Parts: sequence; structure tokens; C-alpha cells
Amino acid sequence: MPHDSKRDFLDPAVLGKLLGLELNARHPMVGSVAGRHRSPVRGSALEFAQYRKYVPGDDTRRLDWRTWGRTDRHYIKEFEADTNLQLCLVVDTSGSMDYGPPGATRLDYARRLAGTLAYLAAQQGDATGLYSGATHFGEEAPPRRGPRHLGVVLDQIAALRASGESGLAKALHEVAEKIRQRALVVIVSDLLFPPEPLREAFEHLRFRKHDVSVFHLLDRQEVEFQFDRPTRFLDLEGGPSLLADPALIQRRYREAVKQYLGKIDHIVNHSSVDYHRVFLDEPYDQVLARFLLGRNPKTSRTAR
Amino acid sequence: MNFLQPILLVGLPLALLPVLIHLINQHRHRTVRWAATMFLLDAKKMTKGLARLRQILILSMRVLAVAALVLAASRPLAGGWVGLAGGKADTLLVLLDRSASMEQRNLETGESKRSAALDRIAGLVETTGHRGEIVLIDSATLEPTPLTDAQALRDLPATAPTETAADIPAMLRKAVDHLAASGSGRTDLWLVSDLRQPDWNPGSGEWETLRADLAARETVRLFLLAFPETGSDNLSIAVRETKRVRSNDGFGLLMDLAIRRHGPDAEGGETLVPVEITVNGTRTVEHFTVSGPELVLLGHPLPLGPGNERGWGRLDLPADDNPADNSAFFVFDEPASRKSVVLGDDIPAAEAIRAAASAATEPGIRYEAVVLGTASVAQIPWEETALLFWQAPLPAADSVEAALLQQHVAAGRSLVLLPPPDEGGGELFGVKWGEWTDGDGEAMPIDWWRTETGLLANTRNGEPLPVAELGVFRARSFEGGTLPLLRAKGEQVLVARAIPGGESGAEESLPGTIHVWGILPRADHSNLATEGVVFFAMTHRALESGAAAVARARSLETRPRALSGLPLTRLLDQAGSSDVPSPSGLAAGAWEYGEDEGSRRLLALNRPEREDDTRTVSPEALETLLAGIDYRRIDDTVGSGASLASEIWRLFLATMALALLAEAALSLPPKPEEEKEANPLKPAT
Repeated sequence: MPHDSKRDFLDPAVLGKLLGLELNARHPMVGSVAGRHRSPVRGSALEFAQYRKYVPGDDTRRLDWRTWGRTDRHYIKEFEADTNLQLCLVVDTSGSMDYGPPGATRLDYARRLAGTLAYLAAQQGDATGLYSGATHFGEEAPPRRGPRHLGVVLDQIAALRASGESGLAKALHEVAEKIRQRALVVIVSDLLFPPEPLREAFEHLRFRKHDVSVFHLLDRQEVEFQFDRPTRFLDLEGGPSLLADPALIQRRYREAVKQYLGKIDHIVNHSSVDYHRVFLDEPYDQVLARFLLGRNPKTSRTAR
Repeated sequence: MNFLQPILLVGLPLALLPVLIHLINQHRHRTVRWAATMFLLDAKKMTKGLARLRQILILSMRVLAVAALVLAASRPLAGGWVGLAGGKADTLLVLLDRSASMEQRNLETGESKRSAALDRIAGLVETTGHRGEIVLIDSATLEPTPLTDAQALRDLPATAPTETAADIPAMLRKAVDHLAASGSGRTDLWLVSDLRQPDWNPGSGEWETLRADLAARETVRLFLLAFPETGSDNLSIAVRETKRVRSNDGFGLLMDLAIRRHGPDAEGGETLVPVEITVNGTRTVEHFTVSGPELVLLGHPLPLGPGNERGWGRLDLPADDNPADNSAFFVFDEPASRKSVVLGDDIPAAEAIRAAASAATEPGIRYEAVVLGTASVAQIPWEETALLFWQAPLPAADSVEAALLQQHVAAGRSLVLLPPPDEGGGELFGVKWGEWTDGDGEAMPIDWWRTETGLLANTRNGEPLPVAELGVFRARSFEGGTLPLLRAKGEQVLVARAIPGGESGAEESLPGTIHVWGILPRADHSNLATEGVVFFAMTHRALESGAAAVARARSLETRPRALSGLPLTRLLDQAGSSDVPSPSGLAAGAWEYGEDEGSRRLLALNRPEREDDTRTVSPEALETLLAGIDYRRIDDTVGSGASLASEIWRLFLATMALALLAEAALSLPPKPEEEKEANPLKPAT
């Protein structure tokens, strides 16, 4: 992989560690070429799927003559059709993603997650696409295969800038409509908005047979609210600044966070979303390793 | 509230330090870029109520703690009454009511109203560390006495109990005079009184000027330390009159007595009161049944027994709330002759008077009257004369005659000034003769006469004298009749009592009585002589009041200088309220006086009967009396143990401790369980 300072979100050491892990979809995928992922289309590959009664029009070459000889009936032998996977990365670039010290913002963390996943997908021959924005998608690269397209996606990831209000739920509806084939949709966001609209967005994606994963990026300070003196809070999404005495509101703040996270948990469980709550102080390679292992059918039991 | 270290109060603004720190802290906020604003907004919405109140309470507790600390360091003073306002006074002027009623005491502690008041004021002076002048004016002597320290208030003879009455207006007048004379600066005037109505004399004309004088003094604050409670069950006894009479087995006394019952049970029920009667040292006990608030016995007989022609006696009640009103003294001796002298050249009038004055009204007493010409002043037997009719021009104030008349009245005898036919003379005792007035042959109609007191008062059984039947054809006007007794139509005063120095100063200045008659018992002047009842009553009433002074046994009311000028020889007995025999006239008792062995006389001193009147000045009346004066009333009770000032810094320290405890309780962090619950780091699966 060519080394570029714009792509410093890609760490070769981490990539090397994670290359041994497969990126699997939880559901059958519909790809354009043969790959390592299950397909809903029955084909003639090596892995037996089922027997089916012959109907006129079927390819007679696929008749199972042995069964005809034993039973005097015509059956077609079907096999699993393996195909490639479409990885659609959805990165939230609302103003709140700029939270954190320079060089270690939430968006930087999102870059590392998205970039690494894009690279891993490309390495196993899968198509990679990127959708990024706040209320609408400013940048989008529909999923394609090949190293050239990977370069385009990585450049777009490097060029991401956080600004504006969050409107992720609306954007997810757009994604659901834009991606025609089944895909693995990986959402990287802080989800800092009222969570109720997310339910419909996730269900929309599920309706379109997409496998949805969410990396919910949070800072521990945002959850614990540990301040020792009055603080003026400048809203990153352009809202009014607030002066507050943390000692006065800490308890209520934590209650509000607790309620919010409870709602999020309820929504993702109800929508069968592969949800990962990530704190920015966690090493992203561990987060990705946990994600990848959790999707591996052989290791998922122990990983999760 | 008063403070012993008021300078430390400048630190009181330090109480705002917590608020200041809070504000500084608010301004020292840091700014952070924040993404999770939605939680902040939710939290702020939820914390608008109780949490904000809690924060305000914490801040208030901190302010209270600092304020309490500063106040405690300033050593605040307080008592069972509203605190003193303003700064310290330069002069503390104590007006002490030492009247007999102030001896009412708490039977459990033995503390009297007077001693309780002295303790309170001494305690106040000691606690406040008063460094200025302390002056005492007591009701008995009305003399300003400078004191060295507060302890003197308890020890001085001038604060000892007396059996006198008090004159509150006179005390205040003395206080005002003292303030004017001494030029005192900021003065606290402490008036101690039991608010007895007779002592306060709300009808006195003095109050108006007092109000004006006190209100004009802005540097004077009046504190009224009042003990208005009356005794729960108190009895008092008084002897109004004693008359020695002959009886079958020697002599006896006819006494007018009054036993009064005070307290809540006074109105109903009967009480059997044992009265210990002592006559010349011999004691007997007689029981009287008192029903209602008062028992008055007129002419109660008391046999003296053989050999007791002369002597003294006392009546004692059992011990009760007030020991100062449990005794009454009397003395008895052979009645003196009622001698009258008529000085005048108007023979018809003089003869009529002589005839009336020499007519006996009581058996066993010799009545005698002589007529002397105006040039025979030197022949007047001054020592024996109880009543002198002076129908001569009034002598000049600096003349010998004036001095003799002054001495006559000062000795308690009676003087009647009659109109001289021609020249009126100068002014004496404030009296000056005017012009003769004729009725033009018609009698001047009588308009009014005084029926409650004086020469024309109603008789003992309440019947009025037939004054209306008087016919006056000629009368002489006069000036100086302080107390009019008889008035004709047209406001002309015909008979009056002259009181030199005004009504209030009468008793002190001249014990005797001076009457001014503008009419004469002449047929061409009036029908006084022919319709003799009124004239006879006037003459004998004047004679009786003067006769007491020449009597061999007489009774006086306790008052300052009541015994001055008397050559006292022996104290026969004295009431128990004072340990030391008091020749000051402030304690009741029986005395013997006189230069010669053969002419020694007896004198009984008793408290004024008005001291037995338990009516108190109502708050409304007090407001009226002291209207316009900056005064503060502090009600106290005997034996309450309350103090006018006590240090209460402990209270403030306790307040500070409580405030800090409350602040700590309010500042406690939330329970750890809640904190754990509110910090979910892991998603629910």
C-alpha cells in the first residue's frame, strides 16, 4: 500500500494484525463476481444446498441422474452460490464529530475505523463504498472493487471535515434507497441527536436486506461529566453556548445520558443492528478485532 | 441589639464573602467545545427547581455562618425584652419608685418589685460596661444622687424601701430639671414603676409640660421598666381617724378603719382577717370579716383600759405579698382645746365668728375663741391657736406679720383670710384682695360649690350642705384662690382654698390650710350668720384641720421631711420594713416629740392611703401620658429572674455551628449507587 501522509489514519501495523481476520456479512450477499460470501442465489458451486423437483425450462445438465435412477423422479441438485460483498461505509460528519483534541477527534477515530475496514474489504476482493455527510451526503462513492477505487475511497475519507447539524437518520434513508444490492452498511457516528428517528432508518435499511453495523463513538467525559468548576460549553453544531455549574447539574446530566443510552439500546436490539459502543480512549484495532471476530461464524460465539 | 465590641461589626460585610466567592467562581469558568449539548439542555431543564433551591440554601447557610461568627465576636447583648437601640448613653438616669406598693414581693424568692428593678438595672449596667455617669432620683426624696457604680444601686439608703407614696410627674420634672442643669448629653432615662394610678396621677396638669420638655430632648431615651402585676392575695390596713373618748371604765378609742383586699378573689367570698392590735405594747387579736374588696369601719370601739390615757398603738395584718401595707399606727392623748382667734376691727363679723367657733360640737373638748383688734397681732397666742381669722390688710411679704402667718400655716394650723373693710393690703400666699361687689340689694345667686372636698363638702352621710340657701349681698373679690370652693353667678369666687406654689407643691410647702372668704357673716353682707348651718360647718371644718397641729396626739402621712423641725425624743414603734429607725419621715411609725417633759406630743406616721389603691395606668392612658416621647416599655415580673441584658454570643456560635452542619448536609454528594447507575459504560445486550 502506498504511504501517504493524508492517509495517516491507516496504520500498517494494525492492518497487518487484522489482515488475518475475515470481514464477513451476517446475511447472504448479492455480488457481481464470485467471492467468499454466501449468496442468496443457488448456483453450481461446490457446497451442496438442496434437492428441488425439476420443472420445465430447467437446465437439464443440472439433473441428478443418480436420484432419477433410484427413484424414477427428476430432481435438480442445487449448490450455494458464493459471491463478493459490498461494504458501504456511512460516516457522520456533523459538527459534533469534531469533538476532542486536535489529531484525536471523534472524526479522526472514525477515519481510522472506516479506512481500515475499507482496506480490509478491498484486500479480500469485496467492493467498498463511502457515504459521508451530516444531513445530506456531500461525498459519496458507490461500492466498487479494485485498488483504484480503494484509493478514491481512502482519499475521500482523508478529506472528511466535520461541520453542520446532525441529520443522520434522514441520510440513512437516502442510503437505503441508493444501495440497490444487499450490502454491509457500517455506520460510524456519535448519534448525538434524539434517537427516535433512528428506529425507522434502521428498519428501512433492514427492509432493503442490508446488514447494518453501528460504531457509536462516545467520549467518557460526555458520559461521566466530570468537571470541577463552572464551565461554558460551546456547541460544536452551532447552537447557543451554555454556562453551567457541573456540581449543580451533574446528577441530572447523567440521568439524561442514561435515558438516552437506554433508548439507543432498545432501538438497536429491536432492529437487529450490530451495535458497538466505542469510547474514544479505546484502541481502535481492538474495537475492529472485536467487530471482525464477532462476525466470523466460527468464532462469533466466543467473541461475543 | 447592643454589642460590647461594636467595632467588630465592621466585619459584618464579610458575611457576603461566600456570595462573592460564588460570583468569582462563576466568572472564572473555563470554556470547552462540547458535543453532547442535548444532555446539558435536558439536565438544565431538570435542575431548575429543587437543585437551584438547594444551591441557594447552601449559599445562605454559608452567609449565615460567617454573619453569626462576626456577631458572636461582637459580643451581643439581649434579654427577655426587646434590645436597646442605638449606641451607649453618656448618662444613665434612674428614676426609682420607692413607694410602699413597690414592696410587693414574690413569696417564693422574697424579692420585691423595687429590689428586682434595682437588680435588673444594676445587671444592665454591669453587663453593658456602662462607663458614663449614673444618677439616681428616688420618689421619696426627689434628690438627684450621683452613683459611683452599679453596686451602689443595691446598697444605697436612697434605694431602700419606704412607706411613702410616689409622685411620678414630680420625679420626671426633677429629671428634666436635672438634665437641664447638668447639660447631660445622650441620656438613658430608666423609670421604674409599678404603674399605680395614684402615683402616676394622670389628671395632673404637669404632664403636658413634661411631654413637651421630654419630647424636645432628642438625646433622651425613656425606658419604662414596669411591674404592673398586682398581688395575688394581698390585704392592707389603714387607720383614717382615731378619737379618744371617755367610757365607763376609763378611756376608749373610736377608730375609723379600712381593710382592703386585693387580688383575684377580692370581689367574692368572705375572708376572716385576724388583726393584731397593739396598744402601748400590749397585744390582742381581733378578727374582722371582710366581704368584697373593702371593709370600712367607722367609729370602731377599742377599749384602752385603766391607765392608758395616752399612748400609741398599731394594727398588724398577717404576712402576705406586700409587708409594707400590713401595719397602721395610731396615737392618742387628751384632746387639745380648739382655740380660735379672730383678728379684726369689724366687730359684728368678729362676734359672729367667735360665737360659731366657740360653740362645742364634741363633748369633752373645750372650744374657745377670742377677738383681737388688728393692732393686737402681738397678743395672738400662736402656739395654742388652731384657727386664725385674719380680717386685716394683708401684710407685706417681708414683714414680721407675714413671717408669723407663714410659721402658723407651716406648723399645720389653719388660717382664714377675711376681707378687710377698706385697704386690702399687699399680696400674701399668692392672695390679693380686689374690689367690693354689691348685689344692689339683691342676693347674688350661688352658681356652684365643691361638694367632694373642702369646707363645703357633703356631710359624712352624703347629704349636701344647704349652700344654695345662702344669700350674699356684698362680697370682695380676690386673686389667688387656687381651689375654688364656692362661686356665685358671673364666675365670682366667694370662697376658695389658697395653695401657695400650686396644687402639686401644697403638701410639701405648707402643711396647714389657708382659706380665703370673700364674704362676711354680717347681716348687711350675707345671711351666713342667720342661716348658720353653712357658716357653722365652714368654721368648724377649718378649725378641725388646724386642730390636728395643736393636738397632743396627731397623725401624719409619710413623706420626706415629715419629721423635720420636730424635736424627736423617742421612737415608740416602727413598721418592720426598715431595720433602722428612720427619722426621715419615710417609714411608718409612732414617735414622741417635744422640748419639755410635760408638753411632749405623740405622732403617728402612716403611708398615704392612696398607696392601697391597686388600680394601674392602662396602656392606652400610658400612651396618652407619654405621647410624643421616645419611650420603650419593658414589662417585668418579680421573681422572673430575667435580666435586661445578657451576653448571647453562645447563641450565635450555636447558630453558626447549625448553619455549617446544614451546609454540609446540603453539600453531600449523591449516593454511590445512583452514581453507578447513572454511568452506564456498557451497552445493554
